Amino acid sequence: MAVAITGKRLRVLLPILASVAILAPLAWLWQASLLPKSYSAMDMGYLDFGGGDAGQESAAGHHHGGASAGSVADIQADPARKADVRVDLVAAQERLTIGGKSIAGYTLNGTSPGPTITAHQGQLIEVHLRNASVPAGITLHWHGYDVPAAMDGVAGITQDEAPVGAEFTYRFVAEQIGTYWYHSHQVANEQVIGGLFGALVVLPKAGRPNDTDVLATAHTYAGRKTINGVAGDLKVPARAGQRVRVRVINTDNGAIEAWASAPYKVLSIDGYDVNQPTEVTDRSVTLTGGGRADLEVAMPDDGTAVRVQVSKGTAVILGNGDVAAPPQPTTDLNLLAYGSPADFGFEPAAANRHFDYSVGRRPGFVKGWPGLWWSINGHLYPKVPMYVVREGDIAIMRIENHSGDVHPMHLHGHHAVVLARNGIPATGSPWWVDSLNVLDNETFDIAFVANNPGIWMDHCHNLEHAKDGMVAHLMYEGVTTPFRIGGAAENQPE
Amino acid sequence: MKQAYRVLAFLVAAGVMFQAAAIAYGMFGLIKWVERGGTLDQSTELTPELGGYTGFSFHAAGGIFVVPAIALLFLISSFFAKIPGGIKWALIVFGVAVLQVALGLFAHAIAGLGWLHGLNALILFGTAVTAGMRVKRAVASKVAPEEPVAEPAVL
Repeated sequence: MAVAITGKRLRVLLPILASVAILAPLAWLWQASLLPKSYSAMDMGYLDFGGGDAGQESAAGHHHGGASAGSVADIQADPARKADVRVDLVAAQERLTIGGKSIAGYTLNGTSPGPTITAHQGQLIEVHLRNASVPAGITLHWHGYDVPAAMDGVAGITQDEAPVGAEFTYRFVAEQIGTYWYHSHQVANEQVIGGLFGALVVLPKAGRPNDTDVLATAHTYAGRKTINGVAGDLKVPARAGQRVRVRVINTDNGAIEAWASAPYKVLSIDGYDVNQPTEVTDRSVTLTGGGRADLEVAMPDDGTAVRVQVSKGTAVILGNGDVAAPPQPTTDLNLLAYGSPADFGFEPAAANRHFDYSVGRRPGFVKGWPGLWWSINGHLYPKVPMYVVREGDIAIMRIENHSGDVHPMHLHGHHAVVLARNGIPATGSPWWVDSLNVLDNETFDIAFVANNPGIWMDHCHNLEHAKDGMVAHLMYEGVTTPFRIGGAAENQPE
Repeated sequence: MKQAYRVLAFLVAAGVMFQAAAIAYGMFGLIKWVERGGTLDQSTELTPELGGYTGFSFHAAGGIFVVPAIALLFLISSFFAKIPGGIKWALIVFGVAVLQVALGLFAHAIAGLGWLHGLNALILFGTAVTAGMRVKRAVASKVAPEEPVAEPAVL
């Protein structure tokens, strides 16, 4: 009798137990991946000291809240100094006309790209941003420019986003020459694709090094390739014998290739000059998502035009008339061995922090959604590493990619020098980057000096990937942030 | 519960049909879009402007959420349905569905898996239909010898 009841009970219980056995782990994983309504970047994931000193302050791993002495909000340019370059930017949501087609997008001062901000080395740039009508709010991040932390423009980390009607003023000294860009870092994926960006060019004190200096900001609007916001080719007059500088900026999520119908030199990468660049033929130069390259072309003496292809779809045509589009080279320029070696200004061998940034892909839940997500050192967002340094440290970071996809890795606030790729050491000019194209199955060793205190994003600049959780941070010991991701300010940096 | 089991099995099969239709539409829509001047590269976003957008987004949502959810419900229903061999078949369908999702996801890394993703879709469809079709037979064959089902009198 008892056995019969047990058997009957079992028949009822077993299906329920089996269902629970299947659903409970799923529910647990799902629940564990949910994010609180608001959280601090400082509480994300786990601290990674890179084998260096853990310190006392950061070992606790908790911020103190409020604008303490070490708050990112206080790390800014001398407030008493008068600005040399003043720019007012008004952000709006409006329709753009690209190649005759009307698309939904955003503008700065009525245009996309927004106005080019030009300064000379040493000048203090002051940009006054007002949000006229961008519903999700806006910030401006100075991509590749190593600004003081409070000016980095990352919603929820260095500031609150500016909602409609609000304003924010960015101030920083243009200490480094070169080609950079600025873009929104609030709901960045959607806002950058929609047009909230512009170019930042810092010239040497003496002025433009080339008498013909062309800006080519590449962007894809709704599937249309453009240069400086215009679909099709950009025609620029140039005389025979002139040396023309073309500043190419890739504002897209994916890498693009640039090459020319005549020999060219790569004068700079990510704003930093290449030491003794040589002439390049039959090679293209890769610009990763967010990356820049200044190319120099010598106009032929016979007066023929030169095409600088910015991917297959668009080109800058220099001189009179046109020439046939040069075929795309099958190999890209090996920047590891381009130019001549020079002093880095620091000694990577003296590094006291060694970090790993290994990108993979694995199934799981992120923010409550099941899928195959990007992982960092095996962990899914937000359980990602928080790299910790102390001011003055020298850090080496090994970036590994075994995720099946390419990633443009972007570290805020710092330039890093490439030491090696796939174990092969760099032999050319110091190759400084803020945006690095890391192919699947590639490994890079990069080194940087911790010389810019703050809390800095270290993320994939394929902003779609960043939105999906490919975001870690670099934190300086003793620096805290009063800002929170999510929350009342609705900060959504990606 | 037997009816739920049957309906869920056929829903898995219907899901596979929809997935195949969606991705086929997506591909043709995309080709048409490129022919009309659209540029497809790494920076191309999955937005409504993209040709075949509906097909791609439905295939992605269907493949990651909808079909796996139906297959999971189907498996759970099998525990309660008490159909001879029902759990076995539900496990087969669920396993093939998991494999199908994995193939679809990992084909982004290894394109060659796309071949298997297409073939396995037909296996998933076949096993789901079989699981649904055999319900009546399996139940009848078990019930028949011991306690014959009362049939309405045929006049």
